[in-house]
Amino acid sequence: MHLELDHIALTLGGKRILDDVSFEVHDREFVSVLGESGAGKSTTLKVVAGLVFQDEGQVRFDGTCVDDLPTHKRGCAIVFQDIRLFPNMNARDNVAFPLKMQHVRKAERHREADELLAAVQLEGMGGRRVGELSGGQQQRVALARALAGKPRAMLLDEPFSGLDEQLRDDMRTLVLDLHRRFGMTTLMVTHDPDEALVMSDRIVYLGEGRMLQEGAPADLLLNPQHEAVSACFGDTSAIRGTVAGGEFSAGKLRVPAPNRADGDAVLVRVKDGGVFVHSLSA
Amino acid sequence: MRALSRKTKRAIVPYLLALPAAALILVFLYGVVNGVLQGFGIMPFLGRTEFTLEYYLEALTRSDLTSSILYSLYLAGVSSIIAVIGGVAIAACMTRARTGRFLRLVNVQIPIMTMHSLVALAVMFLFTGSGLVPRVLAAFGLVSDPSSFTSVVGSVSGWGIILVYAWKEIPFIAFSTVAIMASISDSLGEAAAMLGASPLRAFFGVTLPLCKGAIAKAFMVVFAFAFGSYEVPFLLGPTLPQAMPVLAYVEFQDPDIVNRCYAMALNGIMTLLCSLIALAYFAVLNRERKGGTR
Amino acid sequence: MSRRRRGAAPVARFFIVLNLVCVIVPIALIAVWAFADRWAWPDLLPQEFSLRGFSEVFSGRLGTGWPMILLSIGIALATAVLSTVVAALAARAMTLYRWRGRSLFSFSVILPFIIPSTVFAMGVQVLFIHAGIARTVPGVVLSHAIVALPYAIIIMSEVTRAAGTRLEDAARSLGAGTLATTVHVTIPALLPGILSSLSMCYIMSFSQYFLTLLIGGGSVRTFAVVLFPYLSSGDRTIAAAYGLTFIVITFAVFLIFELLLKRFGMKEERTLYG
Repeated sequence: MHLELDHIALTLGGKRILDDVSFEVHDREFVSVLGESGAGKSTTLKVVAGLVFQDEGQVRFDGTCVDDLPTHKRGCAIVFQDIRLFPNMNARDNVAFPLKMQHVRKAERHREADELLAAVQLEGMGGRRVGELSGGQQQRVALARALAGKPRAMLLDEPFSGLDEQLRDDMRTLVLDLHRRFGMTTLMVTHDPDEALVMSDRIVYLGEGRMLQEGAPADLLLNPQHEAVSACFGDTSAIRGTVAGGEFSAGKLRVPAPNRADGDAVLVRVKDGGVFVHSLSA
Repeated sequence: MRALSRKTKRAIVPYLLALPAAALILVFLYGVVNGVLQGFGIMPFLGRTEFTLEYYLEALTRSDLTSSILYSLYLAGVSSIIAVIGGVAIAACMTRARTGRFLRLVNVQIPIMTMHSLVALAVMFLFTGSGLVPRVLAAFGLVSDPSSFTSVVGSVSGWGIILVYAWKEIPFIAFSTVAIMASISDSLGEAAAMLGASPLRAFFGVTLPLCKGAIAKAFMVVFAFAFGSYEVPFLLGPTLPQAMPVLAYVEFQDPDIVNRCYAMALNGIMTLLCSLIALAYFAVLNRERKGGTR
Repeated sequence: MSRRRRGAAPVARFFIVLNLVCVIVPIALIAVWAFADRWAWPDLLPQEFSLRGFSEVFSGRLGTGWPMILLSIGIALATAVLSTVVAALAARAMTLYRWRGRSLFSFSVILPFIIPSTVFAMGVQVLFIHAGIARTVPGVVLSHAIVALPYAIIIMSEVTRAAGTRLEDAARSLGAGTLATTVHVTIPALLPGILSSLSMCYIMSFSQYFLTLLIGGGSVRTFAVVLFPYLSSGDRTIAAAYGLTFIVITFAVFLIFELLLKRFGMKEERTLYG
């Protein structure tokens, strides 16, 4: 699905939350909204999902304005930071919930739910109560649940920030894998620049409700056009990746690395804004 | 434009949700205001629409009426003070001794569930001339016959009434405060104890001030209830002075319509006082919400 | 720390035992009197026991016995459902939305909590007579629901505020409309509060004497209304038999709600702390 936000503005309680925000997510694209907390990132997701109404501007899905569609008819499944599984249902019923809403028959939706649970590496866990699952397992169930209704877009709201570092890496890989396999159009909100860099096809940088920069990960990294963007990557730790044919890559991040040998490498950004790729292989 | 209409729809939702409750409350307010107006002599259903202060003035000057007001204030005041002290003490003991679920059920839930008038019945079984207490005293030779024991019924001091309210409301106050007290005592109280405060000082210095809001609210509810309820003073109270609700009902039932105006004037005075309590209650509630939700 | 606790706990335990005794003695006394046939001064125990009191309670005469008990339970259940539903909606408006008039509304709904029901009863009687609902069961239920409403609203506000819209937002983004969200997500999340509100309102209605007397006008005779004259009648056995029956019914209903709460509350607890 092709998702468009067109000059979105929103004021809540006298405070300007979003100010002239316009960007697109192309079909099957993975776009991240990056920014500090309070920048209006989550509100952007809620506007797309129809949980919050904008004061000005339009949201369009495949060119059609959806502003008069209520949340449940928009087909945008959200995966929340705080997971929000339904405590009164087991893992299978949670995953099957969107199918139930589409009036899929019980046997059919249980079969599909079990398949999805297998896709998120939770085979045979369908009967577990939500409370018996670990944090990482719960987030996988939430991912499976979001995919179950075959949504037009998947909206991820800081989906990994509640998990510990090791788990986060696995989950990022899993999410990208699912994004590809299910042909999803995905919009993710994050405050973690590394995460945005390696996962996204494009990044939208939001600061105090305004768009400060938009582009490919390497664009923002190499040519920050705003102090805030530069500062955001300023404390970026080194990113591990590989060099092949004069190009460094880590996840979806591609950075030119001429004169570097093929093999493992690490990308380092220093305080003055310079970016270097160091080969790790001998 | 369409987004605007959805926004408008959403703005209407809370009013729709509040509507049924508002309807019930309007019936309540109608009853109360209607009563207050009848105290001013306004009874449209009888064709009387002339405003007069006569009944309120008499309620505040006729000796049987004023003594009834003072008597009700006395009963409510003493009962609610005893209830607060006892209730807080019980809640503190429960917190301290980490009372189990069963004891809390018996000690707190049974009194809350038992109707006031049944407690009055039990008080009569205990403290009338032929009640259990004089029988026990007789067994020790302290009382010779039923007539030599002063019965609780009709005592001007109203100690039977106060006893019933204490039995009912001490557990109610404990119920209203024990949860918050337990959570405070678990965190802050122990911290204070660690810092060397004795349990008693920790309780009075830390736990109690933090429970203030809950205690104040429970106090007001108990006071208003003891002030305005009919059954207990009817069963146990003296012929003179009568508690306000009892006197109001006697006047209300009188075939002479003038007496109905006295009843309503008494009710009007109760309403005024209770409205003030309600305002105070609301103020405490709001302050708690602002402070409590962070 | 532990020594301090050991030092003070006996005092606390003493008061709790004292509390227990104070609660049990009056109830036990009513229970003994309910079965006592002859208990002359100055004996400490009744001389003769009988079921005379209970045969009076369940005599089956018009307006007594099981029909009266079932009517009272019916009125109390209807009251509990009415005030809990109304309160659940109001609590939602009060806790999840910002709107003009919210403060005034929040203040108004606690008024029946503080202003005595005697005042309300005497003032509203005329209205009920004119509306044709005085002396009817719906009229009595309506009046009870008004008095029970603040209790229900306080309980429902607490659970509604705690639940927030987290799960509802999730459900809606997964394609659930208003009805489906309410049935599958909101009601299960609020269930513990709904049950305690039902239980509280039930007890309120079941023990409502004055209001029932004025609104029911002697035509709607609930347990509390039938019982009351016996309290000052002088026949202690009958009064106690009514009293004991009343306590047993109230407690039984309370236990049913507690069991339901335990059954449905456990799930929540496990997910919250699991």
